[in-house]
Amino acid sequence: MNAHKTRSWRLEKMATTLIWLFLIVACILVVIPLVFMFTAAAMPARDILRMPYPWIPEGFYWQNFWNGLRGPEGTFIFIRNALNSLIVAGTVSAFTVLFSSLAGYGLAKFEFKGRTLVFMLIMATMMIPFEAIMIPLYMVAMRMGLQDTYTGLILPFLANAFGVFLMRQYLITFPDEILDAARIDGASEPRIFSRIVLPSSGSAVATLAILAFRSQWDSLLWPLLVVQSDEMKTIPLYITKFMAETHSDEGIMMAIAVMASIPMIVLFLTLSKYFINKDGLTSATKG
Amino acid sequence: MHRKRGFSMEKKKARWGWVFVTPSLILFAAFSFYPIINAFYESFFNRNLLSLRPPRFVGWDNYTYLFGSKDFWLSVQNTLIFTLGTFLPLLVLSLVLAVFIMSIKRFRRFFQMAFYSPAVLSSVVAALIWLLIFDPRGLANQGLNALMGTAGVNYNWLSTTGMLRLSTIVVYFWKYIGYFTVIFVSGIGSIPDTLREAALIDGANRWTLFWYVTLPLLKPTTMLVSIMAMIQCLKTFSTQYMFTNAGAPTRPINVITLNIYNTAIKDYRIGRATAMSILLFIVMFAFTWLQLKVSRTEEVSHM
Repeated sequence: MNAHKTRSWRLEKMATTLIWLFLIVACILVVIPLVFMFTAAAMPARDILRMPYPWIPEGFYWQNFWNGLRGPEGTFIFIRNALNSLIVAGTVSAFTVLFSSLAGYGLAKFEFKGRTLVFMLIMATMMIPFEAIMIPLYMVAMRMGLQDTYTGLILPFLANAFGVFLMRQYLITFPDEILDAARIDGASEPRIFSRIVLPSSGSAVATLAILAFRSQWDSLLWPLLVVQSDEMKTIPLYITKFMAETHSDEGIMMAIAVMASIPMIVLFLTLSKYFINKDGLTSATKG
Repeated sequence: MHRKRGFSMEKKKARWGWVFVTPSLILFAAFSFYPIINAFYESFFNRNLLSLRPPRFVGWDNYTYLFGSKDFWLSVQNTLIFTLGTFLPLLVLSLVLAVFIMSIKRFRRFFQMAFYSPAVLSSVVAALIWLLIFDPRGLANQGLNALMGTAGVNYNWLSTTGMLRLSTIVVYFWKYIGYFTVIFVSGIGSIPDTLREAALIDGANRWTLFWYVTLPLLKPTTMLVSIMAMIQCLKTFSTQYMFTNAGAPTRPINVITLNIYNTAIKDYRIGRATAMSILLFIVMFAFTWLQLKVSRTEEVSHM
């Protein structure tokens, strides 16, 4: 009995060690490309493709960042393009929160004829992938003269079915007594929404805002269709153009990759609970 | 409860309900319903992007062309290879990682964040990093040479058909592994401790606990993850676009979305591109419908 116990204890300990080993090796493999990006960004190009790869940069080769910012023509267009990305992602994020919480609140707390139908219609749009409607959308955008405009980049993404769903689920448990008390006090409906409902939906709003921001920051396909001029390009478009024109300098490429990722990395490190969160995760497919 | 306050209050409230949902409804009508209906319509015409002539009605011609086109079937094949090649390893490994993370006591959060970190980068940046890693002098060759005990062999990550397909799969796998791991972790976290304890008292070891308790209870999460991963893979675009943009051959990785894009923007054939979009839509519609059904049953099972 005693021998059996020590044997199973030993097995258990071996299993634990193997699990730790597996996790650590997997973790290193996953992180290596990230380490590569950060170290290569600090190296001159000639060091990056040296064999074997010198993991530690000799000093910080800041020229990569400077040349990345300057761009091949010396116009500093990257700054403008980064600003475009911020404007588009920020606007989409803000309006997604606004429209989703409005609709979610309406569906959760008001009884009206056709409410179920409205809800089902909105849910049905989740089954229409963007990739299937991008060409017709593109034709509409052209006809409306929205090529190369912020409106063209932003407008198709303002309504987000998952956002409506998330806000409705969140608000359905909001206590009716509070809303009724405010009504009796004479508060108007828009005021109740903006002063009571919206401020108390913090975590759902944050999850949704980050989700919308990320999917726009990442977006390549729609900007490829809509944008023509260099001035209106977003960061992903800047990267594709830069690569096609000068895919010789690996150091600059990695410096641009780092600069393009900084906003997301900062968000991730400060607000990781809204990234690693089941509501946010199961939805990102709809981004 | 509301009835006490009278009829006019009800009516007023109903009106406000409409006011709140209307902005979203208008947007969905304009940017979801109209385009998909329009896509069906356009797929029966031979519109050319640059031509000023009015498009001609061609019936099912676009579809019959596609079904007879080698190029289209190659795209279908590429998309299927990519989807299966990515989603199966993703599913298995994210489950393994999640089970392992939940079986250790410390550093759970750390591992979750580490595995998730590639998902924070945009797909364009991910493709950029891996383009350098797959360079003939890059880390991929160095690592594989060290592993195989060979010296200076170039595995042609970005040039031969099989390796190029594998490369796109690696990028995608890397980017999403943490994402699905985290979903599985939260799935395992929602299994009541009492069940595991009971199994342990009955003499279950790690393996039997996983096989007879954890895995069956994770079935809804597994279904959800599978369908989500498949939908994601069917839509893949950025990696393939970036790789071909950097000079990799197009044919082996010409997935359906890339084909739609090139047919519309480079060949100007709007009708043919929308017909392809409609076919993609039908497949994805089926998957998404399944996902919605599955996620609903999952909600119920967790209550």
